[in-house]
Amino acid sequence: MLRTTLAGLRAHKLRLLLTAVAITLGVGFIAGTFVLTDSMDSGVQQTFARGADKVDYAVRPSATASEDIPAALVGRIRSLPGVKDVHGQVKGDAALVGRDGKTVGDMQTVGLSVPDGRLLRYDLDKGRVPRGSGEAVLDSRTAGRQHFSVGDAVSVLDSKGAAHRFTVVGLVDFGIDQDASMRGAVGFDPATAALMTGEKGVEEIDVIGSDRAAIAAAAGPKYEVYTGKRLGETLAKAAGADTKIIRTGLLIFGLVAMLVSALVIYNTFTILIAQRMREMALLRCVGATRRQVFGGVVAESAVVGLVGSVTGLLVGLGLGAGAMALFNALGANMPTAGVALTPRTVVVGLLVGIVVTVLSALLPARAATRVAPVAALRSDLEPGGGRFRLGWVRSVLTAVFAVGGLGAAFLGAVVMEKGESSMFMVAGAGGLMFLAVVTVMPALVRPLGRVAGAIPARLGGVPGRLAVENARRSPHRTATTTIALTIGVGLMSLFAVVGASAKVSSEHQLQQQFPVDFQVNNELNSESRPIPRALAEGLGKRPEFERVIEKKEKETGVAAPGASLGAEASQATVGMVSGDALGTVLKPEFTSGSAAALKPGTAVVGDLFAKDRGLATGATVQVRTPRGPVPVKIVGIYGGDLPLPDVLVPDTDFARHFGSPGPNAIYVKVKDGVSAASARTVVQDAARPYPTVKVASAAEIKEEFTDAIDMMLMIFGGLLGLAIIIALFGIANTLTLSVVERTRESALLRALGLTRRQLRRMLSVEALVMAVIGAFTGVVLGVGFGWAATGSMDDDAVFAVPYLQIVGFIALAAVAGVLAAVLPARRAAKASIVESLSV
Amino acid sequence: MTSTFASPPGGAPSPAAAPPAVVADRVSKVYGSGDAAVHALRGVSVGFAQGAFTAIMGPSGSGKSTLMHCLAGLDTVSEGAVRLGDAEITGMSDKQLTLLRRDRVGFVFQAFNLLPTLTAEQNILLPLQLSGRKADRAWFDQVVDVVGLRDRLSHRPNELSGGQQQRVACARALVARPQVIFADEPTGNLDSRAGAEVLGFLRASVREMGQTIVMVTHDPVAASYADRVVFLRDGVVVNELLQPTPDTVLDRLKSLGG
Repeated sequence: MLRTTLAGLRAHKLRLLLTAVAITLGVGFIAGTFVLTDSMDSGVQQTFARGADKVDYAVRPSATASEDIPAALVGRIRSLPGVKDVHGQVKGDAALVGRDGKTVGDMQTVGLSVPDGRLLRYDLDKGRVPRGSGEAVLDSRTAGRQHFSVGDAVSVLDSKGAAHRFTVVGLVDFGIDQDASMRGAVGFDPATAALMTGEKGVEEIDVIGSDRAAIAAAAGPKYEVYTGKRLGETLAKAAGADTKIIRTGLLIFGLVAMLVSALVIYNTFTILIAQRMREMALLRCVGATRRQVFGGVVAESAVVGLVGSVTGLLVGLGLGAGAMALFNALGANMPTAGVALTPRTVVVGLLVGIVVTVLSALLPARAATRVAPVAALRSDLEPGGGRFRLGWVRSVLTAVFAVGGLGAAFLGAVVMEKGESSMFMVAGAGGLMFLAVVTVMPALVRPLGRVAGAIPARLGGVPGRLAVENARRSPHRTATTTIALTIGVGLMSLFAVVGASAKVSSEHQLQQQFPVDFQVNNELNSESRPIPRALAEGLGKRPEFERVIEKKEKETGVAAPGASLGAEASQATVGMVSGDALGTVLKPEFTSGSAAALKPGTAVVGDLFAKDRGLATGATVQVRTPRGPVPVKIVGIYGGDLPLPDVLVPDTDFARHFGSPGPNAIYVKVKDGVSAASARTVVQDAARPYPTVKVASAAEIKEEFTDAIDMMLMIFGGLLGLAIIIALFGIANTLTLSVVERTRESALLRALGLTRRQLRRMLSVEALVMAVIGAFTGVVLGVGFGWAATGSMDDDAVFAVPYLQIVGFIALAAVAGVLAAVLPARRAAKASIVESLSV
Repeated sequence: MTSTFASPPGGAPSPAAAPPAVVADRVSKVYGSGDAAVHALRGVSVGFAQGAFTAIMGPSGSGKSTLMHCLAGLDTVSEGAVRLGDAEITGMSDKQLTLLRRDRVGFVFQAFNLLPTLTAEQNILLPLQLSGRKADRAWFDQVVDVVGLRDRLSHRPNELSGGQQQRVACARALVARPQVIFADEPTGNLDSRAGAEVLGFLRASVREMGQTIVMVTHDPVAASYADRVVFLRDGVVVNELLQPTPDTVLDRLKSLGG
């Protein structure tokens, strides 16, 4: 039996290949994920190991302590016998001022100590390490972006905000330090670093010489002493958590791809079995048992799975390497240590590929055993009856799934309180609804085919009409083929709808509740360094502005009476906005109470804060102030995602409790009739003398948010693209097999005068109709659950449909469907009429 | 079955006087090459008169089907030439051949004549629609009535009997008024009564409306409906018979040793 199977496979190489492609792509993606993350891991490990190798021992705070190591310990360890060199790592904030006079980046750059000698862990790209109070080194990439190089003079702000001049003496690759690569970094010698960052302690003490016991004795129980090797391992492990997240995220998309592959495989095998009915019957005639026929099909699927998985592993290797190269080309600083193909990748890839293929072929294999031997003698095996009757089993299942899905969606989107559980409810509803679509799809194919084919049937002449009929003639087959596409397109539209809704919601919320034109923020948003009051006062005097609102905030303890105000858990931001801005310009939505109720001795609080602390309107909390705890009565709770403090008190109260520091943010509303450009110039000119003060217009903030969402959609789209490509292979596969099945039909049409081009067009239209059915179903599901998901997330969420994008999805699917038909259509058109007629 | 076609517009041309509708001139057809070469036709020259019903007969492997395929532009010849009406079809491109078949040739095959997705009416109108021609409704009605399919027009092929399916195929061939209808064993799959019906239509369409028909068959009874029988053996025309009867055809076949 196995020999028959293998002979059959050899005889139909193309069929084997087409089937395997679906598995190859799915396994390729999964293997690629592993290759990428393993390579990243091993690169990180190597880099850490290389850095840690230079250290004999390292002292770090033990896992329970979060405080820095006091600098005095550095001196104590230095004086230990046998110690050759010591470096206390200083790490804090040191804002580099860029060429435009403003601090670099959205977050201030990191200030690091860079030691001289053997303990230098970073790679010097250019120049030398800094020595003394007038020299600094820059992170190479930050320097590149700002066009700073060795020999340039730069300005860096210390922790008090005062500018210091430094000469750049070197460019350093700070490697995998997450903060440094995200924010950029400036390096100084250890003493200067401590002065600039204002840090009192050190993060880690690196030691050369002496021995572990002596250092541990000197450090005491609060600190742990690592050997260089263990330090490398520990650091790599901490960094490895990031690759784990990437891996999990990518594997979810890999799973979607495999699900689509499974559908394609199932469909292909079902069609193959139907077409080989006579072959199966012949096998049964000559004495093969049902079990042998079943085994033959399963063995065939295993071979297909194996071939697909092995090529998938190769594809994965390429994908992983390509992704690494791409990320690094895009500027991600990923350490590379070659591409890693671990045994785990191979095992997982092969296992997933073969198991999915075999499982997908089980049902078709069972169908093969049902073929009666006498079928071998029948000649009229007319494929595709065209009708589909929804049996009672399917009807009941569809009803159960649909009612369950719609009910859950309604519960999650409308009834339940918004939050995680309602989102899970909607996700579950989506799953149920998808199952309902899977069961009912064969019955939907004919009506949907009529709709999707309306235009091609009218415009495409006879070939168009025939194509639409062909797409509708095997409802089961078309249903499975199109559902594979439904998955990818459905998820895409879901994300598109959620993204668009988020954009509109935030825009709507800002417009309604926070209608300011400019936000002036201090980048170093620390209480000790508020925005200079002169800036706020200067802006307030300008005639161009209708309102200039100051926001002041203070991090302090807030708790119910009797509870400790010093505890970490009681920390919250208490703040004010100037004058009567709350309720007139800033209009957060109140879930209870109102802005008008805000009188001295009271406060309004954010809903998250209230929920977190279990507070309701009418409750009283204690607020810690420099002059002791003050009772404050809560008179309102506001919702929304606005940049307001947890506890908002009247400005007079705030001044009484905390004095009059400068504001933490200034919100500017421009008078009607003042042009945006001139208003902008005024605000920017006012902010120019202060390097850390940054101005953002409402439009910019909106754009930033929009860009972030668009970026995310693009990434999701790219990852889901694979599932869609696999589904397109499914369409090509179904079409190829249908072409084989209809050899005589095509020949008859050609004899009657259908040109080759018309025959090709006919198949293209058939693929187009299938693609549009699949995409349309996906779009309907995606938009529906986009609505439910939006509703489940937030009460204020506004539902928006990106119509253009959605129409684009369907159009794109149609075009892709036509492309999928190219090869099958060419094959069909090439067939000789005379030979085909005598098949 | 007695059937009467009204004369088509313009009247039927007289069979004897007109030039041949199809001519094969020293046609050879070789499949494969070298030792594996199969000579299906070896220099066949034969003409088929306009408005006549001609049968091609011969034992299996005599080349009768190949000859028909070459005459109908379904297959290309290796040597020689084929003329269909005033058109020299040898050397035509696939596209030209396709358009020629569409506009000037009708087909009735032994089996699988109809598209399963189309109704009987759609099947009948298919060639006209492929060429974008409008159906002459009166003519369509006449053809449909003659083949007795009026109440079957909205049925799909799988709802029709074998005889009905072949009658739909005949109607399809007739409705387009082609220069020639090629019929390849049109009764091969039918019982004798259904077969007689189909052959009756074919003969009536020749007699009463001057349709030209070339039919390949191995059945002497079917051949006896024709005006003339051409006998083929080993790729060569070996004999012919005018005004055949089943007996004369059978005798001739015996004398050929087929």
